Amino acid sequence: MIFDVPWNVIVLQIFFGLALGSIYVLLASGLSIIYGLLDVVNFAHGTFAMLGAYAVFLAVSMADSFLVGLLSAIVIVGLIGGVTEYFLLKPLYGKDPLLPLLLTFGLSVAIPDLIKIIFGLIGKPVNYPEALSGATVVGPLILSNYRLFIIFFTLAIMISLWLFLKKSDLGMIIRASTRDSLMVQVLGVNVSRIWTIGFAIGIGLAALAGAISVPMMAATPDMGVDMTMVAFVVTVVGGLGSLGGAIVGGLFIGLVVAMTSFIAGEYATVSMYFCMAVILLIRPRGLFGEIGRE
Amino acid sequence: MEKTNFNQKTTHEKGRADWLRDVDAKPKTRIVWGTILVLAVLPFIISAPLAAEILIWGIFGLGFNLLLGYTGVLSFGHAAYFGLGAYCCGLALRYWHVSLWVALLLGVVASVLLACFIGALAIRRRGVYFAMISLAFGQMLYFLALSPLKHITRGEDGLTHIPVIHLFSFSLNKPLPLYYFVFVIMSGLLYLTFRILHSPFGKLLQAYRENEERARACGFNTTLVKFFSLVLSAFYAGLAGALNTIYLGYVPLTTLFWLTSGTMVMMTILGGKGTFLGPLVGVGVFLFLQNTISLFTPRWELFVGTIFVFIILLFPGGIMGTLREKYAGYQMSKLKKRSTLS
Amino acid sequence: MYLRTEKVSKHFGGLKAVDEVDFHLRQGQLKSIIGPNGAGKTTLFNLIAGVYPPTSGKVFFRDKEITHLSLHETSRLGITKTYQITHIFPSLTVFENVRIAAQSRVTSFNFWRSTHSLREVNERTLEILEQVELVEKRSWLASTLSHGERRYLEIGIALATRPEVLLLDEPTAGMSCAETNLCAELIQKLNKNLQLTIVLVEHDMTVVMGISDEVLVLNEGKVLAEGTPQQVSDNEEVQRVYLGER
Repeated sequence: MIFDVPWNVIVLQIFFGLALGSIYVLLASGLSIIYGLLDVVNFAHGTFAMLGAYAVFLAVSMADSFLVGLLSAIVIVGLIGGVTEYFLLKPLYGKDPLLPLLLTFGLSVAIPDLIKIIFGLIGKPVNYPEALSGATVVGPLILSNYRLFIIFFTLAIMISLWLFLKKSDLGMIIRASTRDSLMVQVLGVNVSRIWTIGFAIGIGLAALAGAISVPMMAATPDMGVDMTMVAFVVTVVGGLGSLGGAIVGGLFIGLVVAMTSFIAGEYATVSMYFCMAVILLIRPRGLFGEIGRE
Repeated sequence: MEKTNFNQKTTHEKGRADWLRDVDAKPKTRIVWGTILVLAVLPFIISAPLAAEILIWGIFGLGFNLLLGYTGVLSFGHAAYFGLGAYCCGLALRYWHVSLWVALLLGVVASVLLACFIGALAIRRRGVYFAMISLAFGQMLYFLALSPLKHITRGEDGLTHIPVIHLFSFSLNKPLPLYYFVFVIMSGLLYLTFRILHSPFGKLLQAYRENEERARACGFNTTLVKFFSLVLSAFYAGLAGALNTIYLGYVPLTTLFWLTSGTMVMMTILGGKGTFLGPLVGVGVFLFLQNTISLFTPRWELFVGTIFVFIILLFPGGIMGTLREKYAGYQMSKLKKRSTLS
Repeated sequence: MYLRTEKVSKHFGGLKAVDEVDFHLRQGQLKSIIGPNGAGKTTLFNLIAGVYPPTSGKVFFRDKEITHLSLHETSRLGITKTYQITHIFPSLTVFENVRIAAQSRVTSFNFWRSTHSLREVNERTLEILEQVELVEKRSWLASTLSHGERRYLEIGIALATRPEVLLLDEPTAGMSCAETNLCAELIQKLNKNLQLTIVLVEHDMTVVMGISDEVLVLNEGKVLAEGTPQQVSDNEEVQRVYLGER
């Protein structure tokens, strides 16, 4: 017992925190990739997550398959992301660096309204998929299967992402295209296309985050804003442009929010901003950030 | 300074005076007077409530443009200053029963102090990073007001029951009297802003925007410049928020919401950042669009958001900015023609 | 010694950009620093000007230590540097570009007085524009100037801050032969007529040999040779390093 709280309750909160944090990790890593590759802060990141949530809703209502929902979230929303980059962001490269941020901001205002027109204002709930519902009992702990799924799924995605970026040809090209795109162009790679692909990957991760959170919170048009905020906070804490930072930061913030939610529910959302303020004070570049990027 | 005998000016000095006239004429305040004139009759051209809204947001925009347009710093959390000014003014009026001027002052002071606090934490952060941080702070304030501080702010319901202010036997919660009250303040602020922009500090802001490193190499403490610019913009925002409270008679939670910050950004860019009239024009056009579109559909954000995306892509200088570019291009071609002919 | 560094070093990770360099400058001198690319010339400038602090070693100006002063602080003391890649204020006019620098010694945060009333500052700006021969283009936007004109503007901005020591980083970079000669003349004029102490980083040997009082040769962050132009060009090691250069 700690502070009159049974330890299994504390472990349960940690479990909740890890699940929440996993979603944050997906969001932040997508944002990080986009920033690292394109120097663009994607204000519409949460908006695309929201689209992923609606993609799952559609897939489940039409095909009754959560799996199809996840896949379509990644693929369809990822494609939308690629198209967005190609037509809307590309013309802005080389100009004022604030323009892409502003453009994505405009999207974050316009797109939710579009969703409201198509799907209405009320949130669309999605049931937990059969296979992932229920809970696993481990001793005195009752761990919801879906949350277990979130944690391990995110782990699998992150590992695949790491392998892809470090080991595959395309992955290595993407990593090289961040710092010295001149070099890549000289080597004959179409950098422009790499950027589109990279953006799509980042968006795909956001869509995934939205997709897997749907059973827990229903797809609503305005859910994107909070998700963008979380991605920002995690990125500041973890370090702008650092994937490792996104992972550590995401889990950390997830734990903080879960714990605060348990101890003093009102302050749950405020707590993550507090963490951000503290990091700004003592280590402005973030836990894993590089000096000079900030 | 030596006194020159005007009858015996050397040709050299005369040339200098001519040269100076080209590049550094005495600033003409007629743009300020012209704007004041237009604003004086505005409530008779468009509806008084819309005019009042334009004026209040115009004050917000005037200060925001100093930060975004002239210093080149993007803050996405300026609703924090607007909202804090609104809440402090409202709280002071409702619970402490202070006079109008004290309430306004409190609102402004609160915003300025908040800006000093946030500035101290975040001022050294660059560009997009600063934008993200300012947004997060804005959100923090919003969520604080929503839940933990609900007993003060009344959370989602907003702060109500604020006593109506009377000035010279006019009630300030009616559009027309309020409009002219704010109009007087706005006129003062227009003149102040004009003087700031033509002052050494104003030029320094622009140098910062153009090339911070070089401004530093000239000997300026650029961190302080950015800080003062932020605090100054918070002054305007807090005042606008307080005036908003006087007008509405209550403080909605949305004054702290991120969309308020975002709306300000859109208005400033739409009107033309870095131009004197840009913010006012932007506020006017935006609110007019919002009002008009709302008549047909509640989905005005879709239209405004889409318009904004196109502005960014095609006319990032906004309305006044694009006009100014065209004019400057015309002037440059005249100058070039003159120098090739001579 | 007017300006000197004492065993100053700058390490970037594993790279020793500047390695224990002793630099000496007498008042009124026109001294050049030469060396192959990556020899550490700009880094040395940046250390003196305070862009970043040295990893070790000290910098002294007029016998006072200035090692840890920042860029704007050294500027206030009188050490002004220009940039290898032109660093001007693009959407301001040529006049404004220089005026803002001239203003720095008079006022910063005055927000009420109009710049129009700063007569001395404005006149001085015109004087400087005359010196760098940009007076005709004073109303032009800085972004519309040609490359050579921008380099001159760069020097003009530096002059406006009333420097005691002027650090010019490759002022003739990208200039044609004729422009280079004119620039060299201008630098000499500034040194002789205005008694400006000037340190020059240059690749153009005719400029270096033609106008310098003293030359310092850097290679891989270390001092290779130091002396009069003649001594340096006679130095065998220097010739070896510069094999192929004129």
